[in-house]
Amino acid sequence: MNTFLLLIFPLAGFLIAALFSAFSKKGLVVGKTFAFLGFSAIVLVAIMAKSEIGSIIYGPMMFGWQLQFGLTAISWYFALMISGISWLTVVFSLGALREGGTYPMYYAWLFAKNLGMLGVILSQDILAFFIMWEFMSWTTYFLLQQGTKKARSTAMGYLIYAIIASMILFAGIIFLHQASGSFGFSEIASTVAGFDMRTLILAAVLLLAPMLIESAAYPLHRWMAPAYSSAETGITAFLSAISTRIGLYGVAIFLFTVLGFTAMKKLSAGHYFNLQVVIMTIGAFTMVVPTFTALFQHDAKKLMAWHSVGQGGYMLVGLATATSLGVAGGLFHIFTYLTYVTLILFCIAAVEYRTGTTNLNSLGGLIKKQPIAYVGLLFGIIGLAGIPPMNGFVSKWLIYRSLILGGHPFLALAAFIGTLGTILSVYKLIHNIFLGQLPERYNDVKEVGFFMQLPIWILMLVVLGTGVFPGLILGWVAKIQVSLGVEPLAVTLSGVQASAGQLNMNVVSSVFGATMLVAFIIFLIGGRRRIVGQYNNYAAGHFLDKTVKYNFNYNFYSAYEHIFGKRFLNPPVKRGEEGLVALVERASDFARRIYTGGLNTYLAYSLGAVILMVVILKGAI
Amino acid sequence: MNSVIGLVVWIVFYPLIAFTVGVFLGGYGRKFTARVQRRVGPSWIQPFFDVIKLMRKRTNISHGYMHDISLMMLVSGTMLSLYFIPVPGFHYFSQFGDFVVIIYLLLIPSLGMALGVGETANPNGSIGISRALQMLFGYEVPFVLTFIGMAMLNGTTSMYELVQIQQSGGIATWGIVTHPLLGIAALFALQGMMNEKPFEVIIAPHEIATGPMTEMGGKYMGMMFIQHLINLFVELTIYANLFLGGAKNWFELLFKLFVLFTLILSVNSVFGRFRTDDAMRFMWKIPLPLAAIGVVGIMLGIG
Repeated sequence: MNTFLLLIFPLAGFLIAALFSAFSKKGLVVGKTFAFLGFSAIVLVAIMAKSEIGSIIYGPMMFGWQLQFGLTAISWYFALMISGISWLTVVFSLGALREGGTYPMYYAWLFAKNLGMLGVILSQDILAFFIMWEFMSWTTYFLLQQGTKKARSTAMGYLIYAIIASMILFAGIIFLHQASGSFGFSEIASTVAGFDMRTLILAAVLLLAPMLIESAAYPLHRWMAPAYSSAETGITAFLSAISTRIGLYGVAIFLFTVLGFTAMKKLSAGHYFNLQVVIMTIGAFTMVVPTFTALFQHDAKKLMAWHSVGQGGYMLVGLATATSLGVAGGLFHIFTYLTYVTLILFCIAAVEYRTGTTNLNSLGGLIKKQPIAYVGLLFGIIGLAGIPPMNGFVSKWLIYRSLILGGHPFLALAAFIGTLGTILSVYKLIHNIFLGQLPERYNDVKEVGFFMQLPIWILMLVVLGTGVFPGLILGWVAKIQVSLGVEPLAVTLSGVQASAGQLNMNVVSSVFGATMLVAFIIFLIGGRRRIVGQYNNYAAGHFLDKTVKYNFNYNFYSAYEHIFGKRFLNPPVKRGEEGLVALVERASDFARRIYTGGLNTYLAYSLGAVILMVVILKGAI
Repeated sequence: MNSVIGLVVWIVFYPLIAFTVGVFLGGYGRKFTARVQRRVGPSWIQPFFDVIKLMRKRTNISHGYMHDISLMMLVSGTMLSLYFIPVPGFHYFSQFGDFVVIIYLLLIPSLGMALGVGETANPNGSIGISRALQMLFGYEVPFVLTFIGMAMLNGTTSMYELVQIQQSGGIATWGIVTHPLLGIAALFALQGMMNEKPFEVIIAPHEIATGPMTEMGGKYMGMMFIQHLINLFVELTIYANLFLGGAKNWFELLFKLFVLFTLILSVNSVFGRFRTDDAMRFMWKIPLPLAAIGVVGIMLGIG
């Protein structure tokens, strides 16, 4: 019943919100209240649906096949994340959306997007999966448009990639139905063992490629950063937190449940080259390249959007290891990433709400004006960089260990390089927004209101809480591992129990607390301190006042730009994409010439066609 | 019961021991550099006097709460990583966190200092931090690769177990003997990690007014000194544990630290300063390929 409601509630919400926005010109308050109640209901239903894991409900008949929906361990995990993050986004938007904004269908598309995502994770056969996938892609397109003017063209960029992905997936579904005679996940899984090599390769490529496009894996990632960064900031948070990860859900499902990892192991040429290595290499490139592209960004949202691409690489590598540690790391990283990226983007949105900009070169010194947003961002970046005691550390630790002990030293190095790049770019983020000199024009900036603060507080608690007690989430991750057929991780509330080097986050964080206390005592032993303003500063004998710009934030990592700038700002993937676009433009230009607009030409075409038909028919007779 | 008391005693005194060793190493460093430059140099325990002097200053200028907290993060992060490093007689915490944890705990002081310096709103400080983080990337990459190689070879990421394995066969099983390429690569990285010349562009006194320390005075500077001295012990011990077989007793450990530090000081005293990008290029041109060759060797089963 609850599983059914998980699909019905978003559908009803979408219809009502759409009707409401069509007939009512004003009344943002009503829309906000309705959305808040609707998403609260979805969260409740998602939590209550736990007892229904394993049961199947049947949908309408299609092409002689009855669509199947149902919850599994992994889809419940995703359902909670989707509904939870939607709820937080809606709470945040209660404060963030202003009257007279340009978001007429904001909530309607949010409901629709929820329907799409929940539908994808609930579907138990590839036909339902495809239908819901299509729906989800279209709603993403409309959701992306809710924002700046630039959003329309960048959303179109997303749409092109999404359509390519859908076409490949469609081909994959037809192909799989031909090969196995059924649409259902379990029916296909039982016939996979009988597939020959060619069928297996085609099935793997046709199913995994669209998932990799959706999860923005290198080199199919270029749609993501521009599209996400030009959307409204709340939506950027929502989309980079969960929407892209549906692609990873697909990878997990197809790799472990539908095709099965034993079948995938067969896909190899020699000892060093197989499907697993291919996916892991894609993951490694995704970890490193986008993270360093993020380093060069001058816009906070764009920087985070590039990280959103990069962090996907960790999840992909983790899943592809197919070991107990790695899969747990990949699945847990989806959760941890979701929490801290939303936190970071909400804090950026809080700054944008007051200052009207996310340009990293013009902000600065806001820590005095928006301390809560600062602390939120600090928690978020510590999580993103994967430093204890935040939750991001635990998931990354699992992935590193699986790579090191699994004998993939260079993949482990790539993961470390990605993390170091992350630290560099997130420091730039927090420094350029909150630290350094406060420009005079931001003297009146205030902290944001209650509804925008509430999600920030909740997420701070989650980021720290699941870092100190990772077992809260890892316990369920271990259950998912069982259902995926991977050996489950030995989890305790405080961390991981493993033979060669374990992890106990309780100890790490309590020692951290104790040493902080010692450091505080040392701090107190010193004399009284005096807090001074920002113009009371060392300036080599010069004097400072508000007319002097005394700040360093432009071109923050100049040595890197000196070494790498050209390669990352104009990478081969970008040039390849541009070449492809130019090719399509030329082809379209050629096609355009066929339609001259003159009646004579069309008559000539028709005549030619008739003659051709006659010739063919004659030949046939 | 005895073991519990022993544990408590270790937990209380371990940071003090590390600090004391750091004081002597720091004093030795200054003396060594002075003698190379044909000066007499300060007292052997000059760093200790410096800390006392700075902590007793009456003028302490703060730029806000993050500035204060950052100094606490600096000292606490270093102490935290210290606890997870096994030394003779004390390896209680190694069972709760492995070497990957230590690498990440070592980032807490860097991040803490970076945040505090950011709040002081001095561009010299920010430039110093920008350089520090770029350098971090430079030396951490080869260093991490050497660690990955050692961990992969021995099948464990626990530092204590790595030490045990190396101690099993005397000098012949030390990391630097069995895998000299990794050991040498890590030695280069260590030079950068300790900010000694030619990798001291972070502080660069004549260019950017001592960089991160520009706005630090009084007890703030004193806490940075404390952290620096403990950090000397931490970084040298990590290297000793990874490649010099750790130590069976404290005498052996101190001797190894002394030798290692002398080596680093000797390089420090004769070199000038690399520019940031040149330093990074160096790190990726010499130690990184060395470490990579070493790791490939391990993968192929050679050495």
